[in-house]
Amino acid sequence: MKRILLVEDEKPLALLYEEELREEGYDVTAVHDSETALAKLKTEEFDLLVTDIRMPGRNGIDLITQVMGLRKAIPIIINSAYQSYKDDFMTWAADAYVVKSSSLAELKAKIKELLER
Amino acid sequence: MIETYHFLDSDFQQESSRELTLLSIISQSYFQPFSLEDNLVLILTALTSGSGVGFNRAMYLRRDGNRLRGEAWLGPRSPEEARSVWEVLSTPGIGYVEIIEHNRALLRANEDSLTRRIRKLSFTSSDEPDLLPAATARHKEIALVRDAAHEPQVDPRFLETIGVDEFLCLPLLARDEVVGVFVLDNAFTHNPIQPRDVKLAAVCSLLAANYIHTTNLYHRLVESEKMAAMGEVAMFITHQIRNPLVTIGGFTDQLLEEGCEEGKRRRNLSIIRDEVRRLEDIVFKVGHFLKVSLKEPVYADVQPALEAAALEGEAGAQAKGILFQAKLEKDSPLVFCDPSTLGEVARNLIDNAIEATPAGGKVTLHAHRGKDARTFVLSVHDTGKGISAVDREKLFRPFFTTKEKGMGLGLPFIKRVMDTCGGLVEVRSREGQGTHFLLSFPSQEERRPS
Repeated sequence: MKRILLVEDEKPLALLYEEELREEGYDVTAVHDSETALAKLKTEEFDLLVTDIRMPGRNGIDLITQVMGLRKAIPIIINSAYQSYKDDFMTWAADAYVVKSSSLAELKAKIKELLER
Repeated sequence: MIETYHFLDSDFQQESSRELTLLSIISQSYFQPFSLEDNLVLILTALTSGSGVGFNRAMYLRRDGNRLRGEAWLGPRSPEEARSVWEVLSTPGIGYVEIIEHNRALLRANEDSLTRRIRKLSFTSSDEPDLLPAATARHKEIALVRDAAHEPQVDPRFLETIGVDEFLCLPLLARDEVVGVFVLDNAFTHNPIQPRDVKLAAVCSLLAANYIHTTNLYHRLVESEKMAAMGEVAMFITHQIRNPLVTIGGFTDQLLEEGCEEGKRRRNLSIIRDEVRRLEDIVFKVGHFLKVSLKEPVYADVQPALEAAALEGEAGAQAKGILFQAKLEKDSPLVFCDPSTLGEVARNLIDNAIEATPAGGKVTLHAHRGKDARTFVLSVHDTGKGISAVDREKLFRPFFTTKEKGMGLGLPFIKRVMDTCGGLVEVRSREGQGTHFLLSFPSQEERRPS
C-alpha cells in the first residue's frame, strides 16, 4: 500500500483529506505542522508528500526546501488555498500544485498520476 | 513678439544676494512633507516676492496626461489690492515666514477669484495650431511674449484670461518630463521682463519641477502601497474563507454518498456547523473592524472599566493555571478616552497575554500615573513566549497574526484607539521571556468641588 504524508494545519480539513485518501486505498499519515512532518520524513519512508503552504510556524515552502536537503526522491504536491504561491519559484520544486477545492477530484487525480509514474 | 531662452545658459553675476534668497526659499520645500499645496505656496512666493524673482503674479498650470489645466494663481486681484499688499509686505521686520503665511491666505482667497478663472482653462498640447501656453510644454522651451495681442501664437482664450500684454511661459521640466507650466507677469507694475528675471525664474522652475515630479512619484508610491496592502487583505480573506468552504463541501459530499452511517452523519454535520460558525465569526470580525466608528474620547473615570477587565482577566488566567495580578492605582486621574473602548482595549491585551503565557506563568495588569502629571499608563505584562523582532515590525498591521485562530485585528484596533485619543503604544518583548505592552493616555487631575 502506498504511503502518503499529509501536512495540513486545519484539523477538520486534515481529517477530510485523510478519510478521502484512505477511501482511495492509500495509507495516510496526517500531521498538522512542518516540524512534525520533517521528523516523520527523517525516520519513516513515504511515497508521496502533500503539503499546505500557509501554516503557523514553518511554512510549506520551508518544508519543501528542507525535504530537498534530505535528498529523498519523494514526489511533492502543494495543496494551498492560494493561487499566488505559483509565482514563488520555490514552489516550482514541487511536482504538482493544486488549489484547494471542495471537490477533491483534482487532488486525487494528481496523487494517482504521481504514484503511478 | 516672442523671445526664446534656454535653460543651460545661466551666467549669473554674483553681484547680489537675490539668487541666494531665492534658492533659500525654494529649498525650504525640500524640508516640507509631501504636500503639493503647501509647497506651491513656497514656490509661487519665490517667484512673486520682491526679494525673490519679483513678478507681480505667478500662475501654475498642471500637466494631466496630454492636457494642461489651470491649478493655482498667486497675486493681487486688482491694482488697489496690489498697493495694499505691497505696503504690508514692505513693512520693516516682515520676514519670509510672514510673507509665506500671507500668501497662503491670499492663495486661498484667490480660490474664488483668480484661481477659479484659470481652473476653467484646459489646453491640449496636441491642439493645432501650436499655441501658447501649451506650446511651451510641447517644445520644452521658455517663451517670453511681448505685445501678446498681436501675437498669433498665443491662445486667444488664454490671453483673455490673463489680460496682459507681456508674460513669461516656463515649462516645468523634470528628467525630460514636463510636469506643468508657470506663467509669470507684471500686471500691475508693468515693468518690462528682463533677461535676468527670465534666468532666475528658469532656475526656480527647474527646482519646482523636480519637487512636483518627486511629489507625484511619492503619491503614486503611496497608491501602490495601498494596493499592495489591499492585496494582502484579499489574500488573507481568501485563505480564511477557502479552508472552511473546502471542509464544508468535502464533508457534505460524504453525507450525500449512499450508505453514510448515522455516527459519521452526525459527526459531519457537527463539523459543517462549526465551520459555518467560523465563517460567520470572520464576517462579523472583519465587518466590526472595518466599520466600527470609535466614540469620541472625553476625560473620564476609567476605574470601573479597568476593574471589570481585571475581573475577566482573573477568571481567564485561573482557567489556564496562570497567576494574574491587577495593580490599579486608587484615585486615578481623569483619562482621555471612551471608557468602554478602554475596557475593550484592556481585555484585548489581557487575552493576548494569557494566550501567550504557559501554565504557571504570570500576567500583570498595571494602571498608574505616568512620569509627568498629564499621562496615564495602562500596562500589561506577561511571562509568555515573547514576540520576535521580525513579528514586532508587523504587529499593528491588519490581518497579521501568529495565532492559529487569530484574525490579526486586535492590535490594529488598539492602535486606532490610541491614535484617536492622542496616546502612544509601546511594546517591549524578549523571545522566551515575555512581553510588555504600555499604553499612555493623556490625562488630567480631577477638579474637585472646593
